[in-house]
Amino acid sequence: MSKYLLCAFVALLAVTGCKKKQSADYGLNLDETFRMHFQTEPPTLDWTKSSDTTSSTVINNLMEGLVTYDLNSDTLELQPGLAESWMSNRDASVWTFKMKKDIKWSDGVAFTAQHAADGLLRLLDPKTAAKYAYFIFGIKNAKPYSTGELKDASQVGIEVVNDHTLQITLERPMSFFPQLLTHVPTFPVRLDVIAKHGDTWTEAGNIVTLGPYKLKIWEHDKAIVLEKNDTYFGRPAKTPYILGYIINEATTARNMFDLGRIDAQMDLPANELSLLKERKEFEDQNILGIFYFGFNTKKAPMDNLKVRKAISMAIDKDEIVKMLGGGQIPLAGWIPKGMKGYDENMGLKYNTEMANKLLDEAGYKDRSTFPRITLAFNTNDNHKRLAESVQAQLKSKLGIQIELRNEEWKVYLESLQTDPPHIFRLGWLADIPDPDNFMNFLLSDSDNNHTNWGNPRFDELVIKAASVTNDAERMKLYDEAQRILVEQDIPVLPIYTMVETMMVNERVKGFPANAISQMKFKDIEITN
Amino acid sequence: MGGLALGLFIFSVLLSFLGYELPTALIWADVIVVLGFFGYYTYSQKIGAYVTKRLLEAGVTLFVIATLTFGLLRVIPGGPFDEEKALPPEVKASIEAKYNLDKPIYVQYGKYLLGLAQGDLGESYKYLGRPVSVMIAETLPPTFQLGIFSLIICYLIGIPAGLIAAARHNSWVDSTAMVGAISGVALPSFVVAAVLILLFSFEWSLLPAALWDGPTYYILPVIALGTRPAAVIARLTRASVLEVIHSDYIRTAKAKGLGYWTILFKHVLKNSLIPTLTFSGPLISGLLTGSFIIEFMFAIPGMGKHLIQSVTNRDYPLILGMTLLYSAILVLANLIVDLLYSYFDPRIKLDK
Amino acid sequence: MGTRTTTPTTSIIKPKGKSLWIEGYHRLLKNKASVVSMVFIVLVCLMAIFAEELSPYPFDEPHVDDALVPPNSTYWLGTDSLGRDMLSRIIYGAKMSMSVAIYTSIISLLIGGIYGAVSGYVGGKLDSIMMRFVDILYAIPTLVLLILVKVFFDAVEIFDDPELKALVGILAALSVVGWVMLARVVRGQVLQVKQMAYVEASHALGARGIWIVVKHIFPNILGPIVVLLSYQIPSNILFESFLSFIGLGLQPPYSSWGVLASDGWRSLRSFPHLILYPSLILFLVILAFNLFGDGLRDAFDPKMRGKQ
Repeated sequence: MSKYLLCAFVALLAVTGCKKKQSADYGLNLDETFRMHFQTEPPTLDWTKSSDTTSSTVINNLMEGLVTYDLNSDTLELQPGLAESWMSNRDASVWTFKMKKDIKWSDGVAFTAQHAADGLLRLLDPKTAAKYAYFIFGIKNAKPYSTGELKDASQVGIEVVNDHTLQITLERPMSFFPQLLTHVPTFPVRLDVIAKHGDTWTEAGNIVTLGPYKLKIWEHDKAIVLEKNDTYFGRPAKTPYILGYIINEATTARNMFDLGRIDAQMDLPANELSLLKERKEFEDQNILGIFYFGFNTKKAPMDNLKVRKAISMAIDKDEIVKMLGGGQIPLAGWIPKGMKGYDENMGLKYNTEMANKLLDEAGYKDRSTFPRITLAFNTNDNHKRLAESVQAQLKSKLGIQIELRNEEWKVYLESLQTDPPHIFRLGWLADIPDPDNFMNFLLSDSDNNHTNWGNPRFDELVIKAASVTNDAERMKLYDEAQRILVEQDIPVLPIYTMVETMMVNERVKGFPANAISQMKFKDIEITN
Repeated sequence: MGGLALGLFIFSVLLSFLGYELPTALIWADVIVVLGFFGYYTYSQKIGAYVTKRLLEAGVTLFVIATLTFGLLRVIPGGPFDEEKALPPEVKASIEAKYNLDKPIYVQYGKYLLGLAQGDLGESYKYLGRPVSVMIAETLPPTFQLGIFSLIICYLIGIPAGLIAAARHNSWVDSTAMVGAISGVALPSFVVAAVLILLFSFEWSLLPAALWDGPTYYILPVIALGTRPAAVIARLTRASVLEVIHSDYIRTAKAKGLGYWTILFKHVLKNSLIPTLTFSGPLISGLLTGSFIIEFMFAIPGMGKHLIQSVTNRDYPLILGMTLLYSAILVLANLIVDLLYSYFDPRIKLDK
Repeated sequence: MGTRTTTPTTSIIKPKGKSLWIEGYHRLLKNKASVVSMVFIVLVCLMAIFAEELSPYPFDEPHVDDALVPPNSTYWLGTDSLGRDMLSRIIYGAKMSMSVAIYTSIISLLIGGIYGAVSGYVGGKLDSIMMRFVDILYAIPTLVLLILVKVFFDAVEIFDDPELKALVGILAALSVVGWVMLARVVRGQVLQVKQMAYVEASHALGARGIWIVVKHIFPNILGPIVVLLSYQIPSNILFESFLSFIGLGLQPPYSSWGVLASDGWRSLRSFPHLILYPSLILFLVILAFNLFGDGLRDAFDPKMRGKQ
């Protein structure tokens, strides 16, 4: 009997000492909360170290850069952020930023140019080991400092002139330098806060920010709650709370959306696009990203220009895009639609007759002698469907049989480094809305050029264009470079400009879709 | 002792199912009572030497698993910092220096073991600045809840169903139960889950389709995860109950005039649990560490997804931490199963 | 509790091995459900072999304009997102999935069964070592092991036929991870059965170890093996689609039921035909395997003799 008494006692004790778990919506008032989902747990909210889209989305609402984009303009013009103005010397190699006054961090400390300099130096510091350190290697002495060769930070071209002025000296002229400072890893930091909390400085309660929102709750792997920052220096946020559940599976997010548990869904399941497109909540937005196939130009028969050209001309991109059903925009040039330098007349046209002729000329009149080539991609539903479509097209239009191979992501990346397959799929998302971002990764010495292709003329054009300040002149250089890429040498086969598809509940106004995928929630309004 | 352990356990599970956060004291009480129970059992059965030996073996096994996994991770292609946008060598070098990946492998291994000895599992490469031990501590509770609820469902449904089916052998009860069980086995958990969501969340608006915040949220994932093992347990139980029912001593018991159900529960069941038990070893470790697909589908903030994602990210410390935890649970579950063998069938000798 | 003696002690004293098997065979034929199931399985196998002749369309032929249409008179089971005929893909899928089902049984029985039986029967140190090895194999992340298998597998480029290559790859993967649970269960059963009086009796009569295992223990543990196989076969059919995830299994555009099911569940609400029919055929096949297995068990289990 005493046993049961003991049990009952413990039970009583336990119940009185227990608290219910927080409810799924954290007790937030639905009318003032925008509920959404993140596709992964943010790997970090330490903006200097961040390198992925989920982290950037959260950080872009907590923080602001010296310079930001006018997200309402189609061309993504620059507008003042923390800096009220910026100017360069004549050849764009020294840049001076004037900070706005009266900006306060969320703990009340005044923002100064020193914080901005700290942010850039921390990004370069080898101890930080930030992935995007290379992003500002254009700054004088930045590279040796980041490898540890140069220990003295004062020799890096970052100078705090006074509390409100920051001067940056570059290695060589760069006309688009201010754009780099829109990028999350370059944001100012508070070294004192980081020193105080160590690695946990990004947790809710520790983190100090200055953007339109503050981090209220971060329950790892589960949800993030942002709360309006009342001391924000800019136009204040319209919706007091943002609640983002971490939902990895698109089907789950879709269920939540249809059941009214979230107000917006990004990343719609590919299979269902054809249905979802008919719904009034559906929205799409082309983004500055491309999907392309690369050719390993050292691997026979892809070393033969005619073969590359034949394959490129035999693929009907309209059909692919129709099959994918996500509203993607067929791309024949290299620069995506929506970016300066895009030209819809660029590139090879779909022409099966010509393609067959080229393949004949390449010495494969008898198609059965065409060697077996492999098209590789990393495992993903969309990539698979696309690859299957290409395979079927080449079979029916050119009469050649190619083999598909899917690989687990990291295995795939390693194979690109060591032994790229005949044809491989890759994507590129813009870091900044400038053509340079798309052209320079195909320079012959680039780590991202897996095609084994290099053309000195192309390299020369791209490097030169980066330092030219006159827009028209720059675009002419990029034009020529693009033609080398997609009309002359053809180491790559662009397929489409990416499009983001989403569903947004009608009670939400001002959903921030834009080409650079910077989702800023402050203009979202909840109506009922 | 056994009663207390069971009572406390049931109480904790109920409390947790009702959506309360378990107080730390209660969790410790659970752990102590369970350990106490097994300690007492070991002592009273005089199998202390056997259990000690097994625990030592377990230590060695874990060490071997850690070492092998550590080695295999370096063999498989792809590293933690390979990304779609390749990092320039300078940047990659400073990242690798930070995590000691530039050192020879035996140095890395030594450092890892040293950390392990101090209870330090290292820091995730993917979730920057987050210690693996903290990640496990945060994601374990939902996974444990899901696993334990599913296990209980498995046994609560599976064993009685198997027993009744066998008792009413070749009747309509039997056929219904077995067709049900086979259907349960034949359908993958993700299909079951998708159908459950369709019915309960969309058609009838009864239960939430995702998240993990209280009793109503627990029901669908638990059923989806528990169906297949419950079906297997039902069939295993039925099969072995049928065997035991026909053996001579049961006939003797019948002849003695004992009631049918008394015989069934008191004598038959105990003797027919061996196959169910053996299946329980892998089942327990499998369920406790979660089914990643169910966690994905219901957006449960558990560690199941880390088991898969850590590998696809090549997040070495996280993989090793997860593997060690998983193996510890597996090894302990198997030890308990082996102990229970001799409890259910005393003729099986443990000290062999 | 009294000591347990089981009925067929006589058969040990007068071994009549052959007649046992023949008797079992006859009993099997009398079980209607088993026979029907067996016929069904054979039919599905035939369907797999003659997939090309049977399917209305080539399994990889896209009809972009007819993508995702529900079942109709042109496409009896509808089409997928590329507009490929689902019926043809299911018929083709039988090739891979039935092979996986059959190989799973063989590998589980051969490796898992023998391994578990030896471990349980010999006992002692060997048992400890063998079981710890199983623990280790079970604990190392499956994904890591499978990637390893793939790496080894890619190193040897001897297969011209992609389907054959996928099949051998899956076989290799299953040989590494597919038998572990069965080994543990068999061992547990053997531990129990070897205590039984008649096994001890035949020991006393001087029977050799292997003979005891084959003659007495295997028929006695057939029941749990059949149940477990019925759990493992569908698991492995689905597991096969997980293998394509790391590039070990089938490469697109080939299809299998596992691939169809794991592609299809996401569409349950919008395009139920994508998941309904693959699940249905999977279900029927598993049902048939189960009924056949049960019949097999009933026919050859010595304790079931004279019952029913």
